[in-house]
Amino acid sequence: MSRRSLTGRSSILRLPSAKIAVIILAIVLFFAIFGSMLAPQNPLTINANALYQGPGVHHLLGTDYLGRDVLSRLMAGTRLSVLTALEAVVIALVLGVPLGIATVFLGKWFDFAVNRVADALMTLPSIFFAVAVTAALGNGLVQAMLPIGVLLAPVFFRVTRAATLEFTSAQYVEAAELLGGSKVHVIRVHVLRKVLPTVAVTTATATAAALLAVSFLTFLGIGVQPPTPTWGGVLSSDLDYLSQAPWAPFIPGALIAITVGAVNALADAFRDRTAPGALPMLDPVIKTHSTLEVADVRQSAA
Amino acid sequence: MAVAELTGVAGAIAPRRRRGRAALSGIGGGLAVLIPILVLSSFITYSLGALSNSNPAATILGQDAATPAAVAKLDRVLGLDKPLVVQYWDWLTQAVQGHLGVSYFTQIPVSQSIAQRLPVDLSIAIGAVILGLLIGGTAGVVAAIRRGSWVDRGITLVCSVFSTLPAFVIGIILVVVFAVTAHLLPANGYTGPSSGVGSWLEHIILPSLALALQLAADIARQLRTSLVSVLEQNYIVGARVRGLPYRRILVRHTLRNASGPALTILGYDFPIMLAGAVAAEVVFSLPGMGQLLLEAAQTRDIPVVQGVVLVISTFVIVMNLLVNGALAWLNRSNRGVSA
Repeated sequence: MSRRSLTGRSSILRLPSAKIAVIILAIVLFFAIFGSMLAPQNPLTINANALYQGPGVHHLLGTDYLGRDVLSRLMAGTRLSVLTALEAVVIALVLGVPLGIATVFLGKWFDFAVNRVADALMTLPSIFFAVAVTAALGNGLVQAMLPIGVLLAPVFFRVTRAATLEFTSAQYVEAAELLGGSKVHVIRVHVLRKVLPTVAVTTATATAAALLAVSFLTFLGIGVQPPTPTWGGVLSSDLDYLSQAPWAPFIPGALIAITVGAVNALADAFRDRTAPGALPMLDPVIKTHSTLEVADVRQSAA
Repeated sequence: MAVAELTGVAGAIAPRRRRGRAALSGIGGGLAVLIPILVLSSFITYSLGALSNSNPAATILGQDAATPAAVAKLDRVLGLDKPLVVQYWDWLTQAVQGHLGVSYFTQIPVSQSIAQRLPVDLSIAIGAVILGLLIGGTAGVVAAIRRGSWVDRGITLVCSVFSTLPAFVIGIILVVVFAVTAHLLPANGYTGPSSGVGSWLEHIILPSLALALQLAADIARQLRTSLVSVLEQNYIVGARVRGLPYRRILVRHTLRNASGPALTILGYDFPIMLAGAVAAEVVFSLPGMGQLLLEAAQTRDIPVVQGVVLVISTFVIVMNLLVNGALAWLNRSNRGVSA
């Protein structure tokens, strides 16, 4: 709560953690777009005279077991990791958010059915499922991230549904309906706009999860053929040569951890500002109760 | 790592809903929820095989023998000419009896391969839960008692680092530190408990620790938060005024009331830990379920893939039910205490 009063209603960029996170993500995004062009060396060039080199002048982050420049490989691998992570997030958004709003308005049975499907999807272990899907649809990162997106959708669905329920029971929505506002109008003006901040926070956390999933899948060797550089791939090849270069895995490992951490930090900052207390913004009337009671209220309303 | 569980937002809302539901209906209601979910998720799992445009009969027969007549005959034997729902029903009724079909390539029964490999993952997962509860519980309690001190800040910092680091990165760090550099523990391999408990423990401690640290960090953070809020409640002040010993207050009045959210974390981290177990298998070269799945995915050995996913998701679902049951029990006994 003290953090909130420090930032007040001002930009989340006032938070130092958010500022650092934005800078890190800007760099990652820059590399995702221009990385393969700006890479100091060809990420695929093998150099037998420069195996397992530590960070130095010629190779800023050292070389791998084939003498390839690690910095260039990581820069060139950024695009695939970021794009496929976004693929999963977009799938999840497109599936989850409209359904989350629709279940509130389309009646009890629809709500019940979608909720049970969401429950079932949430129990599926996503990495196992992603690997299984590559067995069925072919070994590609685009295929592997499909199920990750589908399995992330229930998160968006639940959050959107909860927030929508929250706002549709608000008095001003009732008033808008009484004043003759159409359902579409009420959803667009009174519900969607209020739900968006919550969706934004979820998007950030889901992006972190998707990035982690991409690096993990590429670490497992799913979805890419060996010479193609990926973050996880660099990490897993370092693993086979630990006795020669024990420091090597720390570079891709740190890159993955820092990127995921930055997205998470941004999500936290955004949540603190738009939805303090991890719950979506509540009606002032309900706010006076404890959060647990609110959850119970919400559940009995559902 | 059930990605859904990875994101904090779902965790923020779902546990309360589930807790409410579980408290009302207990395990019986849990079963009513469990069975439809199991049916749905197993159907999704089974449909994967149908989704694939691979032709199992042709794969089994090999290029030369795969004449259309031979393929059609084998399709009939395998039941692949029936409608999907019928195939699914046959598969499910067999699966319930422990028959998950045979591998297309090795002809080894899938349930046999899984039974061989499951103990590896169970060992490291159970080890990880024990280590995670011990480390996370201790850290959370210490941080809450000494809240505001440098100990508290240190624990919070370490926790944020560990909950950001994915299990495969933590695993590699542990290998580098304990196996490659210090030579204290074996870097890879697995021996079952039957061939010596000592060597079994030696082989599972690093993988378990790799999985446990994230769980520990999550538990510590959650426990600290809920402990601090409970410690500021009036009845704790009341208990102190009545002169009850601090340790008794901490255990009977505080921990009991504050452990619910931490327990929920355990339920939510469990799928993540299974994914972490795959990472640990790769990092530490353990012959577990993840390796089985990865190999099967590469060769498109669909029965093995379906079997592994079915077993793993059943574990996740049952674990969720157990956590819900435990929460319901905690809630009920808490009501007894505070009434």
